[in-house]
Amino acid sequence: MTAEPKPHPLRIYRWDLDKTYLQTEFDTFRQLVRTALQKAHEKKAVPGAAALIRELKAAGDTRLCIVSGSPTQMRKVLMEKLKLDGVEFDELVLKDNLRNLVRGRFKALRGQVGYKLPVLLESRARAPVDAEEVLFGDDAEADAFVYSLYADMVARRVSEPVVYRVLEAAEVYSDDIERVIKVWEAIPQADPVRRIFINLDRLTPPAYFAKYGPRVVPIFNYFQAALVLMGDKHLTAPQVLKVMIDLVQTAGYNLLTLSNSFQDLLRRGLPMREVAEALVEALQGPGAMFQVVRPVPDIIAAFTKRVASLGAAPPPPKARDIDYLSLLDDARPRTHKSRRRS
Amino acid sequence: MSQERPVTIAFDVMGADHGAAEVVRGAAQLTLDTPNIHALLVGDRTQIDEALATVRHNAERVAVHHTPEWVAMHEKPAVALDEKPNASVVLAAKLVKDGEADAMVSAGNTGAGVLACAKTFSLIPGVRRAALATVYPTAVGRGEKNDPFSLILDVGATVDASANDLVAFAVMGTAYARIISRNKDPSVALLSNGTEAQKGPPRVVEAHEKLKGMAGLRFIGNIEGVDIPKGTADVVVCDGFVGNVCLKMLEGVSETVMELAKYAYKEKLLWRAALAMLSGGIERIKEITDWEQYGGAPILGFNRLFIKAHGRSKARAITNAGKVAAKAVGNDLAMTIEKLLPGRGSS
Repeated sequence: MTAEPKPHPLRIYRWDLDKTYLQTEFDTFRQLVRTALQKAHEKKAVPGAAALIRELKAAGDTRLCIVSGSPTQMRKVLMEKLKLDGVEFDELVLKDNLRNLVRGRFKALRGQVGYKLPVLLESRARAPVDAEEVLFGDDAEADAFVYSLYADMVARRVSEPVVYRVLEAAEVYSDDIERVIKVWEAIPQADPVRRIFINLDRLTPPAYFAKYGPRVVPIFNYFQAALVLMGDKHLTAPQVLKVMIDLVQTAGYNLLTLSNSFQDLLRRGLPMREVAEALVEALQGPGAMFQVVRPVPDIIAAFTKRVASLGAAPPPPKARDIDYLSLLDDARPRTHKSRRRS
Repeated sequence: MSQERPVTIAFDVMGADHGAAEVVRGAAQLTLDTPNIHALLVGDRTQIDEALATVRHNAERVAVHHTPEWVAMHEKPAVALDEKPNASVVLAAKLVKDGEADAMVSAGNTGAGVLACAKTFSLIPGVRRAALATVYPTAVGRGEKNDPFSLILDVGATVDASANDLVAFAVMGTAYARIISRNKDPSVALLSNGTEAQKGPPRVVEAHEKLKGMAGLRFIGNIEGVDIPKGTADVVVCDGFVGNVCLKMLEGVSETVMELAKYAYKEKLLWRAALAMLSGGIERIKEITDWEQYGGAPILGFNRLFIKAHGRSKARAITNAGKVAAKAVGNDLAMTIEKLLPGRGSS
């Protein structure tokens, strides 16, 4: 008789929506209008995102919290879209930009730090102390910065003067700064954030995020996120294979793209060898579903080749303290960043 | 994600003049520009990863095959390949042979590349010797793209070509021009010392006779060296010795013209002003005749394609070499050549 696996503490999965869960384009005014007018069935999820969420939700005591910069007026259509995708959420926080507009708080319209950071901290304040967290964002805005700062604030790895300077540099309004500090002080110290996944919507080179340390994992697709989460014991091998099959069936992924994605993680020093072994074992078990990808021996051979062709395993990325003051440019709204770069 | 058939190009990333990083940058760009081309990067993993880390790319279409060995530009190909059986160029060719990739691109040592192909690939049935082809800017446009480049082959792979080899080269050049330049009916000529059929060494005279009656290609007879820059023929056929001498001479002439222009620029204010007035036109000519848009020279005759990029290729040329290779693979260049060869299905 095998021992019952020890139940894990509550796991909170925090997701951004645009460019993380949804394939959204709003770089031009036209795209912005089109996005605002889209009906639920016209919105497209990023391949594999819904499948990954479904598998994460199925893995025990979990909570799905969505924080999005989409306006509150889109709540109904977004809820409908999530329902269509079979995604059950526990929190859905949207941005009240109409209120910002009425109050003349124009900097808050595009600001990410001043909006997301207090929302994340307030949600954390409601969670059990031992709850673990995994965060999902993208490379279009300041997600890597905001999520990392949030994680280090909860863990008290960052000092109050630094937080003040960061918030001021990010042009956060003073009452929002006070709100952040107040809720932060009320949160018990813990180190809950296990991973921060950054969906590379803009194909930013992964090394750009090295400054945020190994906790931040840039991903080219949600198969990569599933593999890493399997290594972190959040998913089992059959669950990862379900995400893989979803990508093949709904988004045209094939053995090449999947095995290349796997090798990309290996090259970045993520510990994938045990994951690979468990996947092989799962593939060899019962499950005719895998045949939709290719015959099982082909799948195993493709992944094995990608491992073998790299030679020795690279060292894992080193943990490092994040110097937020040197990364202030990442905290500013994108228009400011573009201006500064030009 | 595109449902087009994926094509994988193996890039020998080592040994180029600008280093592995430039080749990696070119291959990375390829994964952004095209929906179905995969890049298999063969070479030192540390150098590849360092280069990849700094450029935008789509990792779903990039794979790395590590090897610490490569052939440098100064090395003798035969000796180097004997001493380094796992050299990147050899492994790239083997990966193509084994079906892990569909074609190969290298900006490294040309001799090593050709030798690696000769040792690894098979010749297309009906082809006895491979040919190295190159493009040369001419005065006329051709094909759907109004392409100013004519194709010259062989420029160095087969020094002593027979009449049958020259016929095979004509076929290979025709097939390549049809696919890559989108020139449905390219004109083919033999390079000789006169336009008359009897002019030239016996093998050229014999090849002329064979080509004259051949179906499936538009043979326009012999041309002289002066006809190459004029663009009289779309495909110029010669043996590797003549082709190489000819190519080097053409390169020398254009370099001399540039030197003369520099001299004129320094010598007189009036000439400087005249050159400045012409600069827009000169830039336009440079754009039209930019060899980097072709990426490199194909080695034709093998059942697998090898595009030899120039040693000093920058990322753009590497990207385009990958695109040209993928286009040739997508249009089944080897099969097209085989069908056109005499007695092998040409009508």
